[in-house]
Amino acid sequence: MNAGDEQQHTVGRIEQSTRALLLASADRLSGTVRSRLRQARHAAVRARGQHRQLRLQRWAPAGAVATAALALFVVLAPHRSTPPIMPVANDALEDIDLLASDVPLNGVQGVNNNNNEFYEWAADEASSGLGAGAVSAAGVPSSGM
Amino acid sequence: MAGFATLVSPTDLPTLRKAHLRETQDGARALDTFLAGVERKAFRIAQIALRHEADALDVVQDAMLQLSARYAGRPAEEWRPLFYRILENRIRDVQRRRSVRNRVLAWMPWRGGEDDGESADAVAQAMDGAPTPAVQLQSDQMLVALEQALTALPNRQRQAFMLRNFEGLDVAGTATAMKCSQGSVKTHYFRAVQALRAKLGEYRI
Repeated sequence: MNAGDEQQHTVGRIEQSTRALLLASADRLSGTVRSRLRQARHAAVRARGQHRQLRLQRWAPAGAVATAALALFVVLAPHRSTPPIMPVANDALEDIDLLASDVPLNGVQGVNNNNNEFYEWAADEASSGLGAGAVSAAGVPSSGM
Repeated sequence: MAGFATLVSPTDLPTLRKAHLRETQDGARALDTFLAGVERKAFRIAQIALRHEADALDVVQDAMLQLSARYAGRPAEEWRPLFYRILENRIRDVQRRRSVRNRVLAWMPWRGGEDDGESADAVAQAMDGAPTPAVQLQSDQMLVALEQALTALPNRQRQAFMLRNFEGLDVAGTATAMKCSQGSVKTHYFRAVQALRAKLGEYRI
């Protein structure tokens, strides 16, 4: 047997001997230690899966408070009507409606019917109160009044 | 709705409840069997590492509780490496606490014998479960020498040796428990065996 084989043999023997010694020592534990280990084991089995439950229980109050706050906000928050999404586009649509309708526009109607009563009244009011400049600004010649 | 009614019809509820109960009981039984199989070895590993019976018991209990609470849902074949990883972490925590405490106490002028019961006298810690005839005496002496040699090993070498040799984990399982590579496990184990061989040669172990 060469040196390498002898070393291998020695290592194998040490491995086996130490394992046997340690296993024997584990089998010869005192009754007190065995009892404590049994109690620990039973406690561990009882605690099986409690970590998840404890975690849920820990977060449950916070979740309940958050849910209650959200519900309160939804109930008590002032409800506003939704603003028009595209006001410019809506105005353009209204203009199209006005132009497409059969009813003549007020200003045009007034001109076409020679119904100048309103303008005359407005010019009188302007000349008596604000002066001729305002009437001119309204587009009515003050000389004709 | 019809499918739901088919799945959990009221007549099925007791069956489902029974199945759930059976599954829970099976899981608890499997965990109990596993812990019963490792508790003594785990205690001896912790005892040799910490040289203190009460600390070793606390560490094993912590490891059991943590495995049960956190990893009981994992497949049973994963329990062993996970359990020993937890155990080694707990052992390291205790060793660190002791180290800090000893460093602090070293500055205290009134400190007396700071061992507080963790006597290094390995004979006093020998097992008390068996009679001690002459053959047993020799075995006890060898065990004491082995424990002293194991205690003198660096932590990683002792872990590798105890997990591989005593607990019987394979290289992959030992690597998982030690949180290192399989190559490191082989290196630590080889060095541990060489050191034990050098120290225990006179006992013809």
